Amino acid sequence: MFFDFANVFIFIILGLLMTFVIITVSRLLAPRVSDVPDKFTTYECGERPVGSAWILFNFRFYAVALAFLIFDIELALVFPCISVYHKWLKAGSGLFALIEIAVFVGILFLGLIYMWNRGDLKWTKEVPEEMEEGLVLEEEKPITF
Amino acid sequence: MNSLYTYLFLAALLFSLGIFGVFQRRSLIGMLIAIELMLNGASINFMAFNRFLAPDPIVGQIYTLFIMGIAAAEAAIALSIIVAVFRRLRSINIERAQELRG
Amino acid sequence: MIPENFIQSNLQGISFIGPELILTLAILLILLVGVLLPYWRHRILFTILAVAGLAGSVLPLWKLPQPAPDLTYLSNLFVWDWLTFLSKPFFAVVGVLTILLTQVTGEIDNSEYSECTILVLAVTMGMMLLVASTDLLMIYLAFETMGILSYLLVGIRARDERSGEAALKYVLYGAFTSGTMLFGFSLLFGLAGSTDLLAISQKVAFASQHPQDRLLLIVAILFFLAGLLFKTASFPFHFWCPDVYEGAPTPITAFLSVGPKAAGFVLFIRLFYPLFATGHDATIYEAVSGLDWPSILALVSAITMTLGNLAAIHQNNLKRLLAYSSIAHAGYLLMGIVSLSDLGLRSVVFYLVVYLFMNVGAFAVVAMVASAGGSEEIDSYRGLGARAPYVCVAMAIFLFSLIGLPPFAGFVGKVYLFAAVIYKKIYWLAVVAALNTVISLYYYLRIVKAMFLEKPTETIQIQVPLSSRVLLLALLVPTLGLGIYWQPLARVVSGMF
Repeated sequence: MFFDFANVFIFIILGLLMTFVIITVSRLLAPRVSDVPDKFTTYECGERPVGSAWILFNFRFYAVALAFLIFDIELALVFPCISVYHKWLKAGSGLFALIEIAVFVGILFLGLIYMWNRGDLKWTKEVPEEMEEGLVLEEEKPITF
Repeated sequence: MNSLYTYLFLAALLFSLGIFGVFQRRSLIGMLIAIELMLNGASINFMAFNRFLAPDPIVGQIYTLFIMGIAAAEAAIALSIIVAVFRRLRSINIERAQELRG
Repeated sequence: MIPENFIQSNLQGISFIGPELILTLAILLILLVGVLLPYWRHRILFTILAVAGLAGSVLPLWKLPQPAPDLTYLSNLFVWDWLTFLSKPFFAVVGVLTILLTQVTGEIDNSEYSECTILVLAVTMGMMLLVASTDLLMIYLAFETMGILSYLLVGIRARDERSGEAALKYVLYGAFTSGTMLFGFSLLFGLAGSTDLLAISQKVAFASQHPQDRLLLIVAILFFLAGLLFKTASFPFHFWCPDVYEGAPTPITAFLSVGPKAAGFVLFIRLFYPLFATGHDATIYEAVSGLDWPSILALVSAITMTLGNLAAIHQNNLKRLLAYSSIAHAGYLLMGIVSLSDLGLRSVVFYLVVYLFMNVGAFAVVAMVASAGGSEEIDSYRGLGARAPYVCVAMAIFLFSLIGLPPFAGFVGKVYLFAAVIYKKIYWLAVVAALNTVISLYYYLRIVKAMFLEKPTETIQIQVPLSSRVLLLALLVPTLGLGIYWQPLARVVSGMF
């Protein structure tokens, strides 16, 4: 009984610690720009936090959202493995299962690296100079519904 | 209330709403959401059958997890195609995609 | 609880999916190369890697034990029978031809080429998994691997308006029909409480005796048909086909018209025969009592071929014309499925092999003419016979074979299909198919007439590079050879069922 409460307590501590760590790390790593007013808005990404939510979001958000989606679902697929992991440990093949999960996650990470390399995680995609000649910039037509 | 038929009814309802949405919606995002509803209907069917008829093998639950994965992949790819089309057409109305016909 | 020898048996089972694993490794390698080297150069490197991966994927097949109908592995997810054994090289050939065609026609930009090879390999892997699956979960996963990635493949030329629109239509239709099929799967899971096809088939045979369960079976069959008829581009789920085939890059169109279509027909054999037909060991099957799905399919077959052929008459775009011809061929192939006999199944597989060479050949010529300065419209084929005789003779041979004229391979394939329905005494379907062949004569010969009998409207010299000629030759040899000497293939196919 007390052991169960200890578990919960540890999780609470871990949760608080995690929040603290993430904020500290982002403080340390993020570039300091103080003269841009957008930096002080809630979302820092250019969308206004006040006003109608029924606006057309910039479609660059979708690229990031799609990358996030993959790892979101990865969690759902790894979860069943985790829930039977202690059985694997008992059968003496914990390492085997761990490697299998690592291979699965590794393939996804390769995809992330690929995306990063192609510049799809950046707000403005940089195209290698050699390829620029063939590119035709699209004219901006008005948006219709 | 907590019987198999409640869940089957809910699943069938979601599935039919999805089919209705696909035919009725003209916005691409709306159609995509309708298709997700269809998949969710099937998921509920799997979970309900797993719970009430075949509780021992958890294959129904595993199936649902995989449906979630597939649905996410499908949504991701459909969205990326919609974004590519949107850049050209500046619209997400299906009726404007009429280059190919005959 | 995990059995003692669970890991041991799993490791053994993994050797059976060797082709898929090798393809996965090839995909990861191409991804890595695309990260390390400038991916918009080195087109030939990606081609070599992809072809090597596909060729390497069939090598482990010959080290595996003799296929048997009841040899399952990986917890009954897959079966190792002759259909699996022979389908894997078939799909590898489909992949190799697609990649070579992409390479020689240069229709896909260098900046998208590495991704294109990755996607072709991945779709091929999905098709290989699909034909081996005997579990509803695995069938769904493989079906979606094949489907979702082919949506991307259609839209790979993102800057092209038609490509994007084609991908859009494909993804909406595809997601809708696969969702419908999934609902059918969930109903069968509810009936049997298992996703194993063998367990389900026993329950289905039992349930078909009871009128109250029959309704569920009928609904499940109709939902299954949505997914399968979509993949095979048959009525009433054929509307996407002309648009997608026209908008996609031509090599990808060729790929779709033989790869996923063949996978759809193999899935018909995998899904419908064990589940909804009895007498698996006999040469003649019977539909499960109370459900007359063969009659529905016969009707679908007749409508599909008539609709495809009638619509093809008015087409002036060759890719669109071949798309309608591909719909018509789905109708012919369904004749083999409805005949409910081993003869019918053999004729389907035989025709799929033949169709691979002649249809890819026809699309290859379209791609080559378009990339050599012509267009996909029939106007640019007027008088082409004088300017590019080799390509035009090849095109004529592929078209004659598609019609089903002797001595080309298409003729033998059609004879088998007709024999199957006549043997089963479905005479009206044979008559409809014969009438359709006559209709198809008109629009195929229209192209041949334009090429050889009409005056050229433009005088651009068409230069076809040597690599394209070699590829065409590689497609011509089986189209001609199987028309004259088809016994080896027939013997291989008759060993399957």
